[in-house]
Amino acid sequence: MASPHMHLSLRRALRYLLALAACMLPLSVAAQTIPDLVIKDGTVMTASHGTIQHGAVWVHQGKIAAVGTIDEVIKAAPAYATVVSAAGKYVTPGIIDPHSHSALGTDVNEATSPVTPSMMMIDAFDNTDRALYFALAGGVTTELLLHGSANMIGGQNISIKNRFGRSRDEMLFAGAPRTIKFASGENPKRVYGSRNQLPSTRMGNFEVMRQSFEDAKVYMAIWDAYNAKVAKGDKEAVAPHRDLKLEALSDVLRGKLLVEIHCYRADEFLTEEAIAKQYGYKIRAFHHALEMYKVGGEIAKDGTGIATFADWWGFKDEAWDAIPWNAVMSMREGVKVSLKSDSNDFVRRLNQEAGKMVHYGGATEDEAIQMITLNAAWIMGVDDKVGSLDKGKDGDLVIWNTDPLTSYARAEKVYIDGDLYFDSSLPGYGVTHFTGVMHGGGFGGSDDEDTAEDYDGGAL
Amino acid sequence: MTKFNRVILSAIALAFAAASAHAQAIMVDTTPHPGVIAIVGGKLLTVSHGTIENGVLLIENGKITAVGTAAAVKVPKGATIVDAKGMTVYPGLFDAETNLGLTEVASDQVNNDLVEPSDEIFPQMHVYDAFHAETEHIPIDRFNGITTAIVAPRGTDTMPGQDTLIQLAGHDRDQMILTRDISLAMNFGDGQKRGGGFGAAAGGPRFPTTRMGEISQLHQALIDAQEYMKARAAAANKPAETEPPASDSGRGRGAPSAKFDLKNEALIPYLKGEKPVVIGVEEGHDVEAIMELAQEFHLKIILSRVTHSQGVLDKIASYHVPVIIGPIYDLPEAGERYDAVYSLPAELAKRGVKVALASYENEFIRNLPYAAGYAVAYGLPYDEALKSITLNPAEMFGVADKYGSLDTGKVANVVIANGDPLDVRTDVKQVYIDGIAIPMVTRQTRLRDEYMPKQ
Repeated sequence: MASPHMHLSLRRALRYLLALAACMLPLSVAAQTIPDLVIKDGTVMTASHGTIQHGAVWVHQGKIAAVGTIDEVIKAAPAYATVVSAAGKYVTPGIIDPHSHSALGTDVNEATSPVTPSMMMIDAFDNTDRALYFALAGGVTTELLLHGSANMIGGQNISIKNRFGRSRDEMLFAGAPRTIKFASGENPKRVYGSRNQLPSTRMGNFEVMRQSFEDAKVYMAIWDAYNAKVAKGDKEAVAPHRDLKLEALSDVLRGKLLVEIHCYRADEFLTEEAIAKQYGYKIRAFHHALEMYKVGGEIAKDGTGIATFADWWGFKDEAWDAIPWNAVMSMREGVKVSLKSDSNDFVRRLNQEAGKMVHYGGATEDEAIQMITLNAAWIMGVDDKVGSLDKGKDGDLVIWNTDPLTSYARAEKVYIDGDLYFDSSLPGYGVTHFTGVMHGGGFGGSDDEDTAEDYDGGAL
Repeated sequence: MTKFNRVILSAIALAFAAASAHAQAIMVDTTPHPGVIAIVGGKLLTVSHGTIENGVLLIENGKITAVGTAAAVKVPKGATIVDAKGMTVYPGLFDAETNLGLTEVASDQVNNDLVEPSDEIFPQMHVYDAFHAETEHIPIDRFNGITTAIVAPRGTDTMPGQDTLIQLAGHDRDQMILTRDISLAMNFGDGQKRGGGFGAAAGGPRFPTTRMGEISQLHQALIDAQEYMKARAAAANKPAETEPPASDSGRGRGAPSAKFDLKNEALIPYLKGEKPVVIGVEEGHDVEAIMELAQEFHLKIILSRVTHSQGVLDKIASYHVPVIIGPIYDLPEAGERYDAVYSLPAELAKRGVKVALASYENEFIRNLPYAAGYAVAYGLPYDEALKSITLNPAEMFGVADKYGSLDTGKVANVVIANGDPLDVRTDVKQVYIDGIAIPMVTRQTRLRDEYMPKQ
């Protein structure tokens, strides 16, 4: 009776240990072999405190040690630091994509039940997927790799640092909070409705969610009672059955997971928030969120952010009211706004997508940069570690040939933890740590691009 | 109120009157207006003859009537003056391949007319029969300065039909359609196989499932049409009673038939080299294979896509044919460097090839200028990039006498923007099509204005 549990627990424990070991590795690598780095004389866009002309950044043991004018930084940094000139160039924090399905092969959706919260995306993660390389070459240093949108309650995502060429576990984002993917709207109802299963309507979608949390409440109460007995020293207490699915849902109710919801329509944002309040959890972000401009003021009060497309529209019915001013209008209403790719293509030029926000709605340069750095980090719950050029944050930096908010920008050098991972001037791929064969040809990155073809093609 | 403002306001009123309450785009009557419009003070990117600072551009009766410096061009009395100081003025952008008007919401199969998939060889399919002039995509795309586009069937069959040239404004379909059957669409490679890919037939695989099958089918179709063309010509010179008995395109049933046949008839102008055949092909070895066939029949060729042909760029240059490239955002294939596709426009232009860019779809057409900008980031000279979405496609499709540059005598498709047309930060302020100031209103601006918080 105990053996399957033993097996699972063992596997999970092992995975946890591996991940833990991985968390130590990059730091120790950085500490021992990565020399201090100073990037100087660039236009430094900090994302948190404006732009510094002729600025400089010092990275020590993988962390940013100083940001400021050339004089300030050079004075602080040791003489033996590697100095890279960024004269005439731009420097930004590493770009962050809070919505990607890259490197998950064809394993994006466990579309056999609308509720699959115990799916762990790390089990599908292929760290040699060339989509990661393309993203790196576009300046992307951090990504949230999500379960797909087939299920109302999908799986638990993984946060990665794009240390392309390192082992799977070395690419995990140490200390990133656990997050879970929910979905709503057309995708779940189409996937299950096409099989004549629940849900096939939006009513069905939300009923499935409510029932799941009702079940989780019961499960949680049983475990709470047991734990209370154990705490009182009751040696006779019998441990209840462990159910991975209900355990994961209980963790949602206990606030241990950041909830990331694929959701397009204004009415559904409101319903999702109502259900979250009813069951006592918080929604970290709505993803896609193309109609947020209609109800931004209300959602801002709930403290939920959005990860949205810059200008995608019309590819499905629930994207019909999408407008390219959505991001800036929602931001002006107080919503924390980030852009995202949901695509192996767009992830390569999120900087251009941010540039469009200057055009559509008049975002300032700082606001536009924040949408692909600091705010995206917040969506993932890692804004204390990455997303801006501030002392103490990870040394994730991009040197661009020109202003990254223009059509003309190319990422020239990409650093993660102060270590150079991509250099466009190098021959071949331009990568510094990758050897071997890149994989690819999986899902294509998007769950929503060319929806009909993807689904008809059996991607789900 | 200036006359110019009145013109715009009445155009807007007209547009709203024309638009029904039910998902119908804003239709604009582009019947040329006799009054003179003078766009003054802007930086004119003529495309054909350089940049003119503090320029003057005159529009009358739908045509550009003068382009030059403020000193050289006299603004006639009574002209509507449009102050373009600090603005950039350039020709309307030309998307060399789109699916505009063939689909509305991509995931809704019911409104998709992208391609007729029941057969591979369908030169007699005309996209103008499906072109939905009232699509919401057209106002949204022209809002970013796209005024002219080729509408093509989706490239998932080897010979899916003929393309149509449109302008992105008009009170109805006929005002929008500029040239019917302007070119023939032809495609070759993996994506056209019937065994898989997009063309997968519901009833399982069927011919052709290989490249050999595709080429042999195309070859046969061209032979059939050639024989038909000869038979028709011969029959035209003889009395009716001597016409040979009808057969199925001559296939294995005696002499070729001279009986009128839509499919073969459609191919005649292309066999005569009168109109271009746009050959969509991605891989280098596929370019070589299909070019062999196309050259055998002396087709007037525009190569298209070539996104994974990095190994045969010199060979492509040696064909001396123009090339539409893209989308340049196609992902590189295994073994290719991250910028393998981005740098194609630069690499081909460097070899003397006339290049155009295209969106090849329906959703992201408005981003065409940004793709051109990205090509600049990867080495394409700026002037070539601007040409690749204006004059070059106009020349490829034989309409450069009307479109593609700011020149006297051309159709007044003109854009005024607050900066560099290729930059993502630039805001288009006014679009003229046929010299008509298009209301800068779309379904999306209406939604924006409806939900914009009141100050």
